[in-house]
Amino acid sequence: MTNKPPSRPEFSRRAFLKGASAVAAGSAVGHEIAAATQPESGATVFGTELHTIELTVNGKPKQVKVETRTTLLDALREGADLTGTKKVCDRGACGGCTVMLDGETVNSCMTLAFDAVGSKITTIEGLGTPDNLHPMQKAFVECDALQCGFCTPGMIVSATACVQKRGKPSLDQIKADMSGNICRCGTYTRVFEAIQKVGGQKVEGR
Amino acid sequence: MRPFQLVRPDNLAEASRRAKGDKSLIKAGGIDVLDRLKERLENPEKLVNILDLKTDLSDIARDGATLRIGALSTLAQLANAGELEKSEWHAIRDAAGKTATPQVRNRATAGGNLLQLTRCWYRRSSSLGCAHGGDGPDCLAQTGENRYHAVMGGIDCFRVHPSNLAPALIALDASVRVRNDKDERTLTMLELYPEEPYADEAEHTLVSGEILTEILVPAQPAGSRSAYRDSREKESFDWPTTSAAVRMSIDSGKITDARICLGAVAPNPVFVPDAAALLIGKAPSDELFAKVAAKAYEGAEPLEKNQYKVRLGQATLIDTLEAAAAR
Repeated sequence: MTNKPPSRPEFSRRAFLKGASAVAAGSAVGHEIAAATQPESGATVFGTELHTIELTVNGKPKQVKVETRTTLLDALREGADLTGTKKVCDRGACGGCTVMLDGETVNSCMTLAFDAVGSKITTIEGLGTPDNLHPMQKAFVECDALQCGFCTPGMIVSATACVQKRGKPSLDQIKADMSGNICRCGTYTRVFEAIQKVGGQKVEGR
Repeated sequence: MRPFQLVRPDNLAEASRRAKGDKSLIKAGGIDVLDRLKERLENPEKLVNILDLKTDLSDIARDGATLRIGALSTLAQLANAGELEKSEWHAIRDAAGKTATPQVRNRATAGGNLLQLTRCWYRRSSSLGCAHGGDGPDCLAQTGENRYHAVMGGIDCFRVHPSNLAPALIALDASVRVRNDKDERTLTMLELYPEEPYADEAEHTLVSGEILTEILVPAQPAGSRSAYRDSREKESFDWPTTSAAVRMSIDSGKITDARICLGAVAPNPVFVPDAAALLIGKAPSDELFAKVAAKAYEGAEPLEKNQYKVRLGQATLIDTLEAAAAR
């Protein structure tokens, strides 16, 4: 197959449609998006104002105020005051915001808070406390598996999910499961060591 | 993201009704859609959340000889599905398992993977106006930074189709079920993408309000095996630079049937029946596979900075042919 030269430069459907939609938009001046939640037949519509939703975070119900566009990450950090989950790239590319949703790791930055209602959310705060570290946190400390520490909450959540899922993961399985978490300092080998250390132990998240 | 109304429809017909028009956008897993909203490439008034209908649309199950994949099945489900371990359908597992990261695969859906927007950095930038985005007269990649762009099939837009899943499903002759508020229709995977991918056309052929509900993978010919392979700069959170999916049937050491589809090298997945035809009646061999790869890329016209893709794409295809033959 070759690249073809344009054969119809004289007509652009997009340009035509744009013209048409500009007219439509002009007639809708003054129209505002409905501000209230509207019970309608066939669908529930949430408006652009603040809504109070209930999230189940680390085993406890948390009421947070969110907009429809609020991500789970922002709801956790700003609504539930759980700032252990970090906002780094905000595009699902780094894993800094990793939390578990019903036991599966997700990027909380690419999940709407509304979509997490009804799911069991586990954040780094649900894994251990400063006085009572989670086995994975302990292993990270013992193996010196962090430098600046900014990726660490996401790393530990992914690492915990890896061991919960696989029991005693092989190094290749660890690498595969950790491939969504980026460490800017490059502490990967220590992270793999820490996970191997915990592998085979029973690790639970709340 | 700009503010939007969140519409949670009770059923698909209602979702379709609400999704009609240029002020609405459908969201499933949200991985691609949230990215587009955050970049303000799109600013819908209404986001129609079909993820709420997940329980109806996330089964991967055999129905007679056909494999039915709900459009809201996640890539993680596909990558781990026992049904796909069968060698004839294995390309789907290969493709889903290589996509993005574990976190993204837990969320991203099969339907969303097929309908995602190109990764072209000009199209994905809200500050650069290009012909495909409708904000400029030209394809900026044609003469700009084009190392990840099309080496074939470009007309006036040199984006590449980013889906891993699409080439695998085309190699397996799959089709998709699509519905609006009243009717349903079936499109072949090839019909899901525009025949002539002009800059001013959408990247798929669904019309406003239509929802992709299901992927149907037919029974494959006896003795079939399939594989998907790709080349990429990073093993994780990256899109392929070139990819290929192959299905072939082998009987008594001879290839009796084959389908090949290339990915990430053109605005659409590229089905190459002429290259596949060279395999018929022959025994798998290095020389044969090299000939097929040369044929698949015959007539390729790379841009200034993506010449590497032709040789690399051929190598990827040879890799895929070997993987399929060895299954």
